[in-house]
Amino acid sequence: MSEGAPADVGGEFEEKVGELRGRRRRNLEMGGSEKIAKQHERGKLTARERIDLLFDPGTFVEFGLLAHQQSLRGNPVDPPEKTPADGVITGHGLVDGRQVWVIAYDFTVMAGSMGAVGESFKTTRVRELALRYRKPIVWLLDSAGARIQEAAGSTFAGSGQLFYDQVQMSGVIPQVAAMLGPCAAGTAYIPGLADFVPMVKGTASMSLGGARLVKAATGEDVTDHDMGGSQVHCYESGVGDNEVENDADCIAAVRRFLSYLPPSNLEPPPWQPADDPGDRNVEGLEKLVPASPRATYDVRKVVQRIVDKDSWFEIKPTWAKNLVIGLARMAGHPIGVVANQPMSKGGILDVDAADKAARFIRLCDAFNVPLVYLMDVPGFLVGSGVEKEGIIRHGAKMLYATSEATVPKVTVVMRKAYGAGYFVMCGKGYGPDLIVAWPFAEISVMGPEGAVNIIFNKVVEASDNPEATRAELVAKIRESISPYVAAAWAMIDDVIEPAETRRVIVQALEQARSKKLDRPWRKHGNIPV
Amino acid sequence: MEVKAELVGNVWKVVASPGDSVEEDDVLMILESMKMEIPVTAPVPGSVKEIRVKEGDVVKEGQVVAVIE
Repeated sequence: MSEGAPADVGGEFEEKVGELRGRRRRNLEMGGSEKIAKQHERGKLTARERIDLLFDPGTFVEFGLLAHQQSLRGNPVDPPEKTPADGVITGHGLVDGRQVWVIAYDFTVMAGSMGAVGESFKTTRVRELALRYRKPIVWLLDSAGARIQEAAGSTFAGSGQLFYDQVQMSGVIPQVAAMLGPCAAGTAYIPGLADFVPMVKGTASMSLGGARLVKAATGEDVTDHDMGGSQVHCYESGVGDNEVENDADCIAAVRRFLSYLPPSNLEPPPWQPADDPGDRNVEGLEKLVPASPRATYDVRKVVQRIVDKDSWFEIKPTWAKNLVIGLARMAGHPIGVVANQPMSKGGILDVDAADKAARFIRLCDAFNVPLVYLMDVPGFLVGSGVEKEGIIRHGAKMLYATSEATVPKVTVVMRKAYGAGYFVMCGKGYGPDLIVAWPFAEISVMGPEGAVNIIFNKVVEASDNPEATRAELVAKIRESISPYVAAAWAMIDDVIEPAETRRVIVQALEQARSKKLDRPWRKHGNIPV
Repeated sequence: MEVKAELVGNVWKVVASPGDSVEEDDVLMILESMKMEIPVTAPVPGSVKEIRVKEGDVVKEGQVVAVIE
């Protein structure tokens, strides 16, 4: 006992600290062992297990652990031990040593429903601080949606600011919405506005209205999974990005995605040492890429040989497969790849492919990630079907995004560069820092066959041997669309051997590293949507 | 299982015949669209029950061109 201290001080001190420990312990237990067992039975991890996977060990700092449900308008509420942390776990931690903020809905507490405390105070605080420090934000979504007993009534008028905040964050800090369970009703706009949306097969779903609301509103009988599982969003709607097998794979995908991006638009993307020489020849392309422009191949195999070994991270691999996008590294620097995929629909551009490209190009441009275009495009799909789908409006998005992008842009014309496909894949007029072609590239307003049909239709018809005449004319036009004509005009910077592609891109990215383009002031452009 | 054309085009070559057994991703036929050769492949392993088109036919997006059992 120290001199002069009241006799009971040690006891009260311990008691108060003990109470704090008790409160913390209780809330760390989430919805309790039964609910946790149920969560595991569904094949899902708990919110705290997910956070442990997301952050480097021991780096999570929690905000609002001691929160719980509060009474609105004098409504009765559950006792505090029933709503630990108010069903949402918030804070920050390190991902590969860099600060990232998290909002993790806890399905073991009132089905992860969004309560007044969680929404108005806890998640709001995270959004505010992530933006204040310019650090990425990750949502781990597993939530039944709004907690109706708290949200009903016209105080709804005060809700919804989360999406407003997300829009302010857009292009300032990376936003990831990991879909690990249901995400029904208005909260589906969280992934709708996010930059990356991995979805767990089987357990994740998202829809503007949950199954019960749909039944009440329209009479349609459908489950949350059938309406909004990954089989819908990663294959048909394009709202989801990458379908993953389980929670651990989902969190790994989040960490991987973030590894290519800077914390904010004010910083360059993170460089990592690479053990793959930047001047390495690209071997084996002659076995991968048929010189005949009509034949197909898998462009992803080409991408993987060009970029740093094991650095290729494809995004949206199962939607609009005729265009391939993804993040990778070259000489350790992150890049975004936009490549036509001859293996799917011949690599033709359609409405979904244009949307996919435009959104990705804007992501890269917003976060200072240089773009590499690998071009082998027979053009935009034409015909009455795509006109009804608005191909002009959708194709214009890709034109817009490529024109707007001020990050370093490198274009490699591998084989075909036909029509407006050449423009949207960053042709000469779209500000590439380097544009080169492979020796068998064809650059033309259209393919030789189409050109003959239109320009020499009458000559072919008048011929005694129309097929021979047609073949002769096609061969003649094919000569005129070789890359040497464009190179002779210096409209492209060089013709390169395919094996030189990696070295040439690495050099061009280095050349453009200090690029800074100023555009005329405007509030914002008006991208066709 | 029905195999559908993924886009509008001409049937350029029919490779598989009814009764053939096929593995997943085996080429059943090749369409020609926008001057590209676009293979139509078996979505599942099985045997070819029907080929519903012949060379030169025009197919629409989503049209059933073959059936695999």
